[in-house]
Formats: sequence, C-alpha cells, structure tokens
Amino acid sequence: MTDAAFLAHYGPILLRGFGVTVLCWAFGTVFGMALGLVITLAQRYGPRPLGWLLRVYIEVIRGTPFLVQLFVLYYGGPLLGLRLDAVPAGLLGLTIYGSPYFAEIFRAGFAAVPRGQIEAARAIGIAEPAIVRRILVPLALVSALPALVNFAIVLTKETVILSIITVPELMYRVQNMSAETYRFLEANLILALFFWALVEVISRAGRRLEAHMTRHITEGR
Amino acid sequence: MDAASVELSRVNAFFGPFHALKDVDLSVAPGRVTCLIGPSGSGKSTLLRCINFLEPYASGEIRIDGQLVGYETPGGKRMSGARLRAMRREIGMVFQAFNLWPHMTAQDNVAEGLCRVKGMGRAEAAARAADALERVDLGDKLASYPSRLSGGQQQRVAIARAMAMEPRLMLFDEPTSALDPELVGEVLAVMKRLAAEGMTMVVVTHEMGFAAHVADRVAFMDAGELVACGPAKDILHAPEDPRIAGFLRTYLERNAF
Repeated sequence: MTDAAFLAHYGPILLRGFGVTVLCWAFGTVFGMALGLVITLAQRYGPRPLGWLLRVYIEVIRGTPFLVQLFVLYYGGPLLGLRLDAVPAGLLGLTIYGSPYFAEIFRAGFAAVPRGQIEAARAIGIAEPAIVRRILVPLALVSALPALVNFAIVLTKETVILSIITVPELMYRVQNMSAETYRFLEANLILALFFWALVEVISRAGRRLEAHMTRHITEGR
Repeated sequence: MDAASVELSRVNAFFGPFHALKDVDLSVAPGRVTCLIGPSGSGKSTLLRCINFLEPYASGEIRIDGQLVGYETPGGKRMSGARLRAMRREIGMVFQAFNLWPHMTAQDNVAEGLCRVKGMGRAEAAARAADALERVDLGDKLASYPSRLSGGQQQRVAIARAMAMEPRLMLFDEPTSALDPELVGEVLAVMKRLAAEGMTMVVVTHEMGFAAHVADRVAFMDAGELVACGPAKDILHAPEDPRIAGFLRTYLERNAF
C-alpha cells in the first residue's frame, strides 16, 4: 500500500476514532467532575455514615487500576445483572474512575475558602444552601481550577484503556491498523500526535479560563 | 430604626479545655456605644462573636431586647437554624479582615443579603445597595471588585453590607486593626456617624481615641474576665484596677515617639 492510499484508507478511520476519544474524555470529565462535587458536598453536609462510605469508595477507586475497574464493570457487571455495551460501560467506567480524584480536588478547594467569608454570610443571616451555592462553590472552584484542569489532562490518556473492552476510540483503531498493516511505529506516532494536540488545546483553554476566573481576585485573598 | 439592647449575664465560653470567657456580665443600653478593650487573647473578640452566636457560649445568658441568643431556653437546646438566622438579621457584624466576597462587586456584596435574606428582587436590591454605599461615601465604587479597593474602602463596603440589612445592633471586631494608619480615620468617621444616628454598637478596638470620644462605656477585659466597665473617662483616665493601668501604660508607650 502506498503512503497516499494508506492515508486515504486509515485517515478517516483514525479521525473517527479520535472523535470517539474526545467524546469519551469529555463525558468522563464532565460527569466525573459532577459526581466528584456531589461526593464532596455529601461528605461535608451529609450524615456521618455516608461520609465514611464515600471515604471507602474514594480509597478503593483510587487504590485500584482503571483497567481492573473496567474489567469488573464490563465482564463482572453481567453477573450482577448490569449488562452494558462497550461504549456505555466505558463512559460509566471513566466517570467512576475520575470521580474520587475530582472529589479530593474539590475538598481541597473548599478548604481553601477563607472561613471569614463564610462567617460574614452567616452573620447576615444567609441560609446554608445559599452560602454553598453563592459563595463556597464559586470560590472553591477558582482555587481548584488548576488542579481540575490538570486531572482532566490526565484523564485524556486514560481513555486508551477503553480499547481493551472494544470501545472504538483512537487506540482501538490504531491497534487494528497496526495489526492490518504492520506499520506499528507510524500508527503509534499518529496516536501520540493526536493526544498531544488534544492536551495542548485543553491546557490552553484551562489557562484562559483560569485568567478569566481570577481576573477580579488577587492572590492570597 | 429602633436600636436594640444587649444583656449578658454570667456568660462562659470554652475552646476545648481553654476557659475563654469567665462569668462575663455586660449590659448595653439601646443606642449606646460600648468599646471592649484589653490585651490580645483576653476574650474580647470571643465575647463579641458570642453575641451573634458565631461562637456558641457554654453557659449563662445573652439577651438581645430580652430575647435569648442561640438557645431555646437558658441551658436548653440550641435554637433552630431558621430562628438563629432570623436573630442574626437584626445584628450587623464587621470583621477585622473585612471578609468581602472577592468574586462580587461592591454593589453585589451589599445586595447579596438583601436578595437572599430579605427576599428583594435584583433591581430593588441593587438600588438599596447603591444607597448604602452612597452613605459610606463609596457611591463611585459600585462596580469595583474588592481587590481594586483600598483597605479603608473595603471596610466601608463591609459596613454598608451590614447596614443595608437595617440591623438594630452592630458588632465591630477590630474594624481598623488591619488598616494602614492613614486609612483608619475614614472608617472611624463612618462609625462615628452611625453612633450619632443612635445605633447600638459593641466595638472591639485598640483605638483608644475612638473609645475615649465616642464610647458611652468602655469595658476592659483580661484573661477571659470583664475586669471593669464604666464611662470612658473613668476607665481610661482614672483606672482603679492595676491591670487596666498596666495595659494603658504599654499602650501609651507603644504609641509614643
């Protein structure tokens, strides 16, 4: 196969794979973040036994490889009546995998909000849910943003593991291509290039978002 | 505005094993200004924070216009969150560190409580916030974020934020201690105006000039005890207790040059 024919054949396939990768990453980031925030809030404001339970959840998920979690979910799930196709299993797996890391980042963000700003709200008589929504979460987000972006970047590369359960993302396509053409090096270089581009975009967007969110807030206050 | 009275009797507070307030009695008549002075760590701020229950006291009674603060009955169970919030609506507080919300403009800082607590619409709250800021001479800083304001301006925003809620009692926790000396005057001027308007005020301060000229009464605290309370001229100029005389002497020496 000539290089041109090679590209014409595999180009669109790889692009589609990359599209799936980006969608999986976006889904896992958005929902992992949302789940992480819920976990942190439940730990802060929920009943104590729930807090312990979530602590165990965080430690178990953080303490085990994503690959194993995905196997358990995809191959072990049916034993518990949870029969998922590859893509939904992958999306759910990514969400679960990311959530404890995001939860810990949010926890640190909450801790960074000066106590006095919460007390000022209480002294005025603002109810606790409104304090959380209007003051605690916005300020926690600002201080947590760099760490959130950082973990979102880590998560881009975890998507390759979804290939193991046949999610047709970029890694899956690259492996097929390698097997069909024996062009291992090219295939994997293309993979690296795609990821590098994706990470570059995310990190630039993160920096802009950070500048936007901190434009009124000086350091240390 | 009808100013509130404050009555403390035999109030005790603890931080773990540390006895922070020891059988403190204090009464503040409506429309009067009481300054709390004393060395740091003597319990002044704790006393102030007990009045709006930011710090729960362990025993004794704190009453605002006869209404018990923080508990259903003396020594009984805590009052509900809703009742505590209703009580705090009547009490304004100003902090040493200003504690403005950095992600909101000056106007939004003031309007937030009006919206969330008084249930005002955005437009009405914004108008009232503008009025409140006008009264502390910050009518031209409505759209400024706290990071763009000087310490004195930030503290005046904080005073406007508290005053917009139309409290009947104002608590000041070392309101000028974090300010550069040249900015202290503008904050004290606003506080003097409030005092002249008949607000009940309890002020923890190291500004002896303010205590001498504005306070109706000065209370001296040391090691968790309220040692003496009386007219400023008695406490500051003719202290009977040697602890007060000692405190004032170090204070004068520090400020001498």
